[in-house]
Amino acid sequence: MTSRHSTRGAWLIILASLIVMAICVYDYYTPETGLIGTGGTILVAVAGLLMLLAALVVAKVPNRSCLLQNFLVVSILLDIIGSSVAGYFLESPVIMAAEALALIGWLMNVIGDAADRSVEIDEVEDED
Amino acid sequence: MKIKALALILVGAAATAGALFLLPANHATAQGPDNDAAQVWDAFGGNQQAQKYSTATQITPENVGNLKKAWDIHTGDVSSGPHETTWGATPLFVNNTVYVGTPKGRVFAVEPDTGKQKWIYAAGGANGKGENQGSKNRGVAYWAASAPAAGQPCQKMIYIGTQTGELHGVDADTGKPCAGFGKNGVVDVDAWTTANHKWKVGLIQPPAVYKDTLILGWAGLDWVYKVENPGTVYGIDARTGALKWTFNAIPQEEQNQTGTANVWAGISVDPETGLAFLPTSSPSPNYYGGDRLKEMPYVTATVAVNAETGEVKWARQLVHHDIWDVDINSAPTLVDLHKNGQTIPALVQANKMGLMVVLNRNTGEPVYPIVEKAYPASDVKGEVASRTQPFVPYPEPLVPEMMPPVSTLADVVSFGQCSRWKARIRDEGRYTPPSIRGSISWPATVGGVEWGGGAVDPTTGTYVVNSDMVPQIYSLIPRDEAKKMYGDAQRGENGYSAQEGSAYAFRLENFLNMWGMPCWAPPYGLLSSYDLNTGKLLWRKPFGQVQKWGFYMPESWGSVTIGAPVITKSGLVFIGASMDSRVRAIDLKTGNVLWKHIVDAPAVAQPAVYTYKGKQYVVFVAGGNGILTPRLSDQLVAFALPN
Repeated sequence: MTSRHSTRGAWLIILASLIVMAICVYDYYTPETGLIGTGGTILVAVAGLLMLLAALVVAKVPNRSCLLQNFLVVSILLDIIGSSVAGYFLESPVIMAAEALALIGWLMNVIGDAADRSVEIDEVEDED
Repeated sequence: MKIKALALILVGAAATAGALFLLPANHATAQGPDNDAAQVWDAFGGNQQAQKYSTATQITPENVGNLKKAWDIHTGDVSSGPHETTWGATPLFVNNTVYVGTPKGRVFAVEPDTGKQKWIYAAGGANGKGENQGSKNRGVAYWAASAPAAGQPCQKMIYIGTQTGELHGVDADTGKPCAGFGKNGVVDVDAWTTANHKWKVGLIQPPAVYKDTLILGWAGLDWVYKVENPGTVYGIDARTGALKWTFNAIPQEEQNQTGTANVWAGISVDPETGLAFLPTSSPSPNYYGGDRLKEMPYVTATVAVNAETGEVKWARQLVHHDIWDVDINSAPTLVDLHKNGQTIPALVQANKMGLMVVLNRNTGEPVYPIVEKAYPASDVKGEVASRTQPFVPYPEPLVPEMMPPVSTLADVVSFGQCSRWKARIRDEGRYTPPSIRGSISWPATVGGVEWGGGAVDPTTGTYVVNSDMVPQIYSLIPRDEAKKMYGDAQRGENGYSAQEGSAYAFRLENFLNMWGMPCWAPPYGLLSSYDLNTGKLLWRKPFGQVQKWGFYMPESWGSVTIGAPVITKSGLVFIGASMDSRVRAIDLKTGNVLWKHIVDAPAVAQPAVYTYKGKQYVVFVAGGNGILTPRLSDQLVAFALPN
């Protein structure tokens, strides 16, 4: 079985990832943020990069195996949770807002995926 | 709190996933028309009484939330590595100018409202970490002639010390060296060392000023040798640099057994009585006193001397036979108290041991009783710890008798490392003597109260002070073992110091787990307010935030602090000091944070508060200190209300 759902959720996650990485780069190099040169910003930037790559796969590889699909869905969710917590402790509302955006994208992706599965099942039943 | 602790663990998951108040008139006459004479900041402690108090009222608890950065400058004097800088200067505002010294021995004179440079003087003399104090500075001193000679230079002078023992005097208007001061503006203070010269004295702290006399102490290395430079304090002619008098806490006959007991922190002066108050440090070597058992009443003490002659008026020893390096480490704060219908000329000497010592500054007698309390004996051969120590039960001490319990979080994530370590070492609370197996030092050498001391509102007797809650582990190492482990090194890794010439070397360890987390339960730093007239504790709150890898820990944990608060008449406390590189305004009545702002590095000194052309400024040096975090800077930053 393969996935063929809408990619709008994935693109939202990609947008959120880019925002997170941009904010981290800004924070890392700007004294006024209080986060200049800190490992925490690198950590969140790397997490953002991983989320970006995962979301690109979701957006650009339509015929994914079920195993890969589940792995990506779980990984992205963990990334969002972890980065949100990190954003909280970095006292960065922008990172937290971007992660909220990513969560919306993740939900759109999951809901869209579930809807696609439902359509597939209907199609199979119709063929029966 | 538990939620935050859980959330902390989730962070790990994310990683896996990816003033002039009370000053003598001659200072006031030195002001120009743009100054509000009552609102200058012409000494390290705001005034020579170290009150850290400003009569400014423009910034209030109601409008402080609108405070904005007015200007900032970067001096360029910052470096890490072997020449790491430590900048704890408090800027001065006097003579229509802001003056600040840098850790590389330069003086910047800038416009008070713009930060625009007026002049720079380079004294130099910074040195490496291995040489005495490294590159450090706590600012400059200012002196003005009471009867200035018209048209002559150097009627107002700025003084800066160097790490190579030189005191430079320059004209406050031009920054040019004063030819009549020492040799072409330089006095070689180090050359005055009369015995056991082991290193050049480090002139970190600017001198105190009384009339035409500078009172100057210095910093040294009292953990490297058994016998080293005796900690002489100098009275110096402010115009000529000539030596007027000396004070030595170490008796002459003991100078072949010990050294230092120097005055490395600020000195305060009572302009009415002409008494200077010297906070003296511990003798060398810091952590083993078996070779210096004779009583020396002026060491680890507050000593009142005549500012013009150096003659001792009284002395109050606050730690007997110091083997913990708990120097008396801040300028006593002078204030008149009102108690039982009487006015008492008092001083407050909050100390590293976290005790609130309040003395009559004319007699040295306690305003609040000091009792002799029994403490544990040493188990080290040759050492005889004092069986009692001075203790002040009221006002309530800033730290309790015993260190906090082991942190459950730090212990769990280190698989029990903290609790196992604690079980191995000796811990009998305050004044547990150093031992070969290791002893908890509580509070540790960072205090209690650090070198900034507290601030007082002299009109109400309200006193505010920041304090640390930090234990460390002190271990003595028998000489033979030390030789095997460290050879002939004088200092080494893991806090090793040789204490050369004594029976034991020494190791100072931070009580941190394998991840660098404190092994003891928070809070790590507090801010407290007392009513000195009654001795009552008004409020006490965790202060600042720990920041690690950029992550801010919960506010309830507080932060280790270096630096001090200042108080304004409008009911505000301004303070930097914390690890998180934030400066804050706090409500004097409640202790609540009303405003905070990020600066480039921890502001490890008290700010200066002044009013210029009708506008109130609060100026911080954000220089950082490697003890707190690796984040260092060269920023001088001023805040004011928008127009």
